[in-house]
Amino acid sequence: MVTCPYCGSKNLEGMLFCEECGQSLTGGSGSAVLPTKQLDQSSNDLAAKATWGTARFGQDASVIIHIRDASQPVIIQPAKRTILGRTDATSPQKPDVDLTPFGALDKGVSRIHAAIYRNEDTLTLVDMGSANGTHLNGQRLVPDQPRILRDGDEIRLGKLVAHIYFK
Amino acid sequence: MAVTSIDPYITLGVSPDSSADEIKAAYRRVARRLHPDANPNNPGAAVQFQDVTVAYELLIDADRRRAYDHQIARQRPDEGLNFSLRVTPSKRAVVPLPEPQVIYLLAEILPDPRARNQDQKRETRLNLTLVLDHSNSMNGTRLDKVKVAAHEIVNQLSEGDILSVVSFNDRAEVIIPATPVQNKQALKAKISMMIASGGTEIFKGLSAGVEQNRRFLGPKLVNHVVLLTDGNTFGDHENCIELARKSAEQGISISAMGLGQEWNDEFLDQLASVTGGTSSYINSASAVVSFLNNHVRNLSNAFAERVRLSVAPDPDVKLESAFKLSPHPQPLTVDDGYIQLGSLQANRNISVLLQFQLPANMALGFRSVARLVSTGDVLANQNQHFQSLSDISLEVNDNPPPEDPPVAILDALGKLTLYRMQERAQEALASGDIREATRRLENLATRLLAMGEEDLANQARSEARRVAHTSNLSDAGRKTLKYQTRFLLLGPSNEDVS
Repeated sequence: MVTCPYCGSKNLEGMLFCEECGQSLTGGSGSAVLPTKQLDQSSNDLAAKATWGTARFGQDASVIIHIRDASQPVIIQPAKRTILGRTDATSPQKPDVDLTPFGALDKGVSRIHAAIYRNEDTLTLVDMGSANGTHLNGQRLVPDQPRILRDGDEIRLGKLVAHIYFK
Repeated sequence: MAVTSIDPYITLGVSPDSSADEIKAAYRRVARRLHPDANPNNPGAAVQFQDVTVAYELLIDADRRRAYDHQIARQRPDEGLNFSLRVTPSKRAVVPLPEPQVIYLLAEILPDPRARNQDQKRETRLNLTLVLDHSNSMNGTRLDKVKVAAHEIVNQLSEGDILSVVSFNDRAEVIIPATPVQNKQALKAKISMMIASGGTEIFKGLSAGVEQNRRFLGPKLVNHVVLLTDGNTFGDHENCIELARKSAEQGISISAMGLGQEWNDEFLDQLASVTGGTSSYINSASAVVSFLNNHVRNLSNAFAERVRLSVAPDPDVKLESAFKLSPHPQPLTVDDGYIQLGSLQANRNISVLLQFQLPANMALGFRSVARLVSTGDVLANQNQHFQSLSDISLEVNDNPPPEDPPVAILDALGKLTLYRMQERAQEALASGDIREATRRLENLATRLLAMGEEDLANQARSEARRVAHTSNLSDAGRKTLKYQTRFLLLGPSNEDVS
């Protein structure tokens, strides 16, 4: 039997892809795919309150993401769509903002967790069907439903908390 | 079928100058593997056993053998384009294990490279039957588009092609009896007269269509029935499948196209696959025209017709599943002893992925796994029937050299796994296991997203949510997932002859 490194289910020897989750079984041990950690629900004490900064996001503005406990903020010029997540050796699609250096794996961030969309002069945050959910100012987002981002908002991907500032 | 239509030397795997003793030995060797007593549940072996026995009986009879050799010698040596069968295993060496293990074979049927030049193509003549649903539900745009599509097909046909059109609701009506295409305007006018009414009874339409097709049925023709429907039929599924099987025996293939959401996909899949035809999901009326057009263009590009693959695994090996990857992705039925693959186009391979289960505790050394035979009628040849054979063996070794699975297999299987995942989700749903179905759909969404198939991933995710809340998939979502995951297999790597 081969144990799928991704979901742990058993497959017959010789199978090339896991029947259960569809991941490749031939990657070899070096590039084992780590599944997104399932968090228990007690992480809700990380909730924050809304701040109601401006929602207007100018043409040349950039987004500063202050990740809690990180020394340096991440600064991005959002494109039409910016994906937040973590990289992993076998997944061909890379997020635009890789949160791996900030302990994304331990904090339950999915490979493709959430996205920031740029509209006319606002930004929206969308959860991309992540395993542990995306919170905006303490409220859990319904997957695929965009919510307006404001200056000073707190977002939480799994357990990874960050503050968003416009500049 | 005449005995001479298959090459007995190839069938037995002996050279044309071998002695009677060598032939006897070769027969014994093959027959032991294929004998029905050793293969009680292996229809593929039974089919091949018959062929081998026929070949043996011919060659062991000195008079008949001489007559055969004489006949072959008289044929022009350059006569005959052929196709070849290429089989690639996922591994060439395996470790013996105390448990069963899986091996994949990629079987590709390749047309003769010479067939690709233009003059070859026009030798193909179509014997085409359209069976069109004109039940009430087709009212409006749908029926209009179908008429447009049928007109386009009439435009596309050449003189000498044969066309018949049958329309059906709860009864069938022959709009255009099978006839060589001449006055295109008159044919189109007849098609325009269709109006929508009544219910849907596929068997009536299909049997009238097959009957029209039979009138001109011929070995030099591509005999094909296209069924287009948007509804479910009740109570006549069995009859339809039976009819399809019979048609396939006579050399008629059937393709089934479902329009909209209400039709029964499992039924149409099965109907098409027993004949080697294709089944497709057309989600909007406007797609009908280009779809049918393409379909007919592919038909007229046929190099060989009535292509079949017979798979005889060794007695201790089990054929688990077969899936056609190219030219049109399609799950295949394996329980008939051979797999109907329909027509082989001049510029495209047919490729089939087979999954086998090898037994536990295999002895060390080389061993055979399966014997594959593909047969078909090459349209341009005088003596059309042609076969190609491949005997697959592998090494059982405690310490096999490391090898990477062939890219073609990995690539195809990665996508096929997605198709299987949606299938398994639907199985879970059918057995009432909502949690399992939801989980599988979510897994599917994750994989699709990782492959960059965003729209499809979203669809899978929204279906997962729907299942969690309502214990049901939407009809449209279910079909989209099924046919789109299947469609992923049509990657650029399968586009052309490699």
